[in-house]
Amino acid sequence: MHSEAVTVTDLVKRFGDFTAVDHVTFTVRAGEIFGFLGPNGAGKSTTIRMLCGIITPTSGSGHVAGFDLFRQPERIKESIGYMSQKFSLYPDLTPMENIRFYLGIYAVPPSSWKARTEWVIRATRLESVRHRLTRDLPPGWRQRLALGCALLHRPRLLFLDEPTSGVDPITRRHFWEFIRQLTEEGVTVFVTTHYMDEARHCDRIVMIDAGKIAAIGKPSEIIQKTLPDRPGADLQEAFVALMRGRP
Amino acid sequence: MRWLRVRELVRKEFIQVFRDKRNRPILVLSPLIQLVLFGYVVTTDVRDIRVGAVDHSKTPESRRLLESFDANPTFRILYRLEDPKALDRLILRQKVDLGIWIPPDFQAKVRKQKTAAVQVIADGSMSNMAAVRIAYTSNVVDGYNTRLLQEHIKRKIQYGEIDLRVRTWYNPNLDSQFYYVPGIVAFLVMLLSLLLTSMAIVREKESGTMEQLIVTPLRPFEMILGKTIPFILIAQAQMIMVALFALFWFNIPMKGSAPLLMAATCIFLLSTLGIGLFISTVSRTQQQAMMTNFFFIVPFFMLSGFVFPIANMPLGVQWLTHLDPLRHFLVIIRGIFLKGTGIAVLWPQFLELAVLGGVVFAGAVLRFQKRLD
Amino acid sequence: MSLKKIGAIARKEYYHLIRDFRSLYLAFFIPLLLILLFGYALSLDVDRIPTAVVDHSKTPESRDFIERLNASLYFDVVAYPVSTEKMTRLIDGNRVVVGIVIPPDWTARLKAEKDAPLQVIIDGSDPNYAGNTRAYLMAVVGERNQNRLLTFLNRRGREPIAVPVEARIRVWFNEALESKNFIVPGIIAIIIMIVGALLTSLVIAREYENGTMETIRSLPVRASEFFFGKALCYWFITLVDVLVAVLMGQVLFGVVMKSNFWLMILASMIYISVALSLGLLISVKTRSQLMANQMAILLTYLPSLLLSDFVFPQQNMPAVLKAVTFAVPATYYIDILNGLYLRHLDFFQMWENFAVLAVMAGILFFLNIRALKKAGL
Repeated sequence: MHSEAVTVTDLVKRFGDFTAVDHVTFTVRAGEIFGFLGPNGAGKSTTIRMLCGIITPTSGSGHVAGFDLFRQPERIKESIGYMSQKFSLYPDLTPMENIRFYLGIYAVPPSSWKARTEWVIRATRLESVRHRLTRDLPPGWRQRLALGCALLHRPRLLFLDEPTSGVDPITRRHFWEFIRQLTEEGVTVFVTTHYMDEARHCDRIVMIDAGKIAAIGKPSEIIQKTLPDRPGADLQEAFVALMRGRP
Repeated sequence: MRWLRVRELVRKEFIQVFRDKRNRPILVLSPLIQLVLFGYVVTTDVRDIRVGAVDHSKTPESRRLLESFDANPTFRILYRLEDPKALDRLILRQKVDLGIWIPPDFQAKVRKQKTAAVQVIADGSMSNMAAVRIAYTSNVVDGYNTRLLQEHIKRKIQYGEIDLRVRTWYNPNLDSQFYYVPGIVAFLVMLLSLLLTSMAIVREKESGTMEQLIVTPLRPFEMILGKTIPFILIAQAQMIMVALFALFWFNIPMKGSAPLLMAATCIFLLSTLGIGLFISTVSRTQQQAMMTNFFFIVPFFMLSGFVFPIANMPLGVQWLTHLDPLRHFLVIIRGIFLKGTGIAVLWPQFLELAVLGGVVFAGAVLRFQKRLD
Repeated sequence: MSLKKIGAIARKEYYHLIRDFRSLYLAFFIPLLLILLFGYALSLDVDRIPTAVVDHSKTPESRDFIERLNASLYFDVVAYPVSTEKMTRLIDGNRVVVGIVIPPDWTARLKAEKDAPLQVIIDGSDPNYAGNTRAYLMAVVGERNQNRLLTFLNRRGREPIAVPVEARIRVWFNEALESKNFIVPGIIAIIIMIVGALLTSLVIAREYENGTMETIRSLPVRASEFFFGKALCYWFITLVDVLVAVLMGQVLFGVVMKSNFWLMILASMIYISVALSLGLLISVKTRSQLMANQMAILLTYLPSLLLSDFVFPQQNMPAVLKAVTFAVPATYYIDILNGLYLRHLDFFQMWENFAVLAVMAGILFFLNIRALKKAGL
């Protein structure tokens, strides 16, 4: 495993005239929780989708999990887990059937299916609903199932696109505890969010606005750098100040 | 390529198709209802010609003419009237298909060995049936004439008659169901395989699971296999279900080889599944997919020769029908069911269908792979 | 009921339709395609029947017979195979529909005034085609026989004999016996069902699937306002389709409506209302687009195509289906179109059809309002 889970240099994505991501450069270290923050439409989702190989970058270069972004997208897909803002499991399948499906798709050897399934069901606390239809589960539970399915093939690198949008505060807390636990096992987590308060769970963050990086570093460093005269300020205030400082 | 992935995708597809209770009528009931409906309704046989007659002659000769109509099983004299105007009204009101008016001087002319004119009015609104009714009418009148002339000589004569010995092959009773029911089977297979394939993929796009699949190492080709194998199996099962229903409900004979029919179905499905894949690449929502299905189904149906004979079409359109997979499959399925023909006769259709299916499927796969990137 | 609210809903529906290319295709291109196909390419009339003749006799008489056959509009002799086996292969391969074998002694027998058999094999798989073929062949040969008998008698007899009876056949309503004259008007009924019922069946189901029905429920909109708002846009589009179809039939294919034009418009307006109400009712009841689509095909499109006396005669149907035809709105509309296009009837000769359609529209409106109220409007 590299010491850098993700490195990208001058990544650009254009849709026609519109530049969604504009020369973005950053590095994600192995084992950290890396936050990608910004308002809606800033280019967060576009970036994460490029890193996961859903869309192809217009230009730039990068490595994800040690594989080239342009030349080895299939190898990247084998080594990452991805969970999107939109709940994207099959609602008309039970949790067990969803899990089995993704075990198959990730080509996990069938001999270890049973153990993996039990592990995921326990870790996501879905024991009581394993044979109910996913459609009938509360949103928070479905969220956990989606996360579980993204972890089935034991990825070293996990991409989470707005994982907590539309989830109640208690579930969110549990969620972040679980993520922290994962990093302790050595998993790198790349997460986008537009909740500024969630940045405190991250080791390092990037603030992005209108496709450009506005700030990068530890949350506390960013606050200090942007608002050196206000020691009690939070990230939200720092972000607003950053936006104001732009031409 | 990992078979494990394909297998699990197929498995998931089956669970989804059969779990949704609303799918069951679409899979089972709807094809059977359509089969029964089409089977009973799609006929343009002329079985029963309703006649209104005005006999102003009222002589043995005129009565004999009308009797020769009534004796013919196809004709049925429903009304005997006095007023020709009343006859006109019956035709106008669609109460009769044919009106016969025998003039007062009928007997006199016949006895003087002159030609007596009988007025026949045919309702031409359904022209195809009217043409047959007219031909049948001429036959009855010819028969009557021959008998009168024979009697005139008062002995059986031989004048060198052309004796038509007609044999009808494959469908001796000219039963419409024999012809149309196998065609409906073909049509239903097309309808369902097209609809189910395109919907299954578009539904994943609509619900966002497609994006999830793209992040997995699932290759486009595995995806295509996983999405088409279930519908090949379902379509084959439907083919068997509908064909069995045709055999036992409509008593359609199955003269040819069933394995050949299954093979033909597989080749046919190559085209329909290819088109289904194509539709899924150009549609974002299920509604769009359904509309686009219409793009294909209506012309395919109309130009297949299912109801409208291809021989009647203008030459340019006749060439165009070669692009219609249903056209080739219809010839094959009718050939196998009714004529018992084998590959020795049907190979041109198999070849055209295979080429068409190969091109369509390959094109759809290429487009599908591109869209996933 | 407020016209403003109806207008607002109708405008929203209009935007949906205008921005969705495929619905527009269904609304405008399918009708054009159907009219073009039926006016130009599709015909039910059986003529130029592909025929093969095996002439073993090879005499002027047999050649004359073949020529006469060819000269009749019905038969087109396309092949002269040398043997019955070769002819059989042509039938099996669908190259010809009818095969005629003239035996070697055919002319000799005719000259000797003996019966001369002709072997005829017809491919019966398409019964409509085969039935017509047999009838035409019998008519052609029957006429020839009659002439032969007459010549024979006149040669023998002292006084000249004429054909006793001649049927003077007049064809009413469709003098040229062309199938487009009844199919093109009938297509209008099918178009109305496709655009009216198939398209609208998705309209409310879509609101349910997108979850926007909740929003509508919370608005101060009454069931009747919602119904009219939804129907308005499609009602006009369908009416435009009818006009386009009538125009195309007339200009391109010479299928002219000689009766009262406004009567046709009145009938179409009522029938469109029936079709739209049916589509919307299916939409409220099923709440799923796939299901609504299937139901619309089963309940509106297929019955209009199959049970309405359009090309498949109700006369031939089993009693149960014949009873069902009375519940199919297209039965009455096609009857009116037939009356207007072919029979030139006036309103009083077919007011019953108008009345039934109007009653159907009324009942369906009532059912719609009830279903919408039950759905929370």
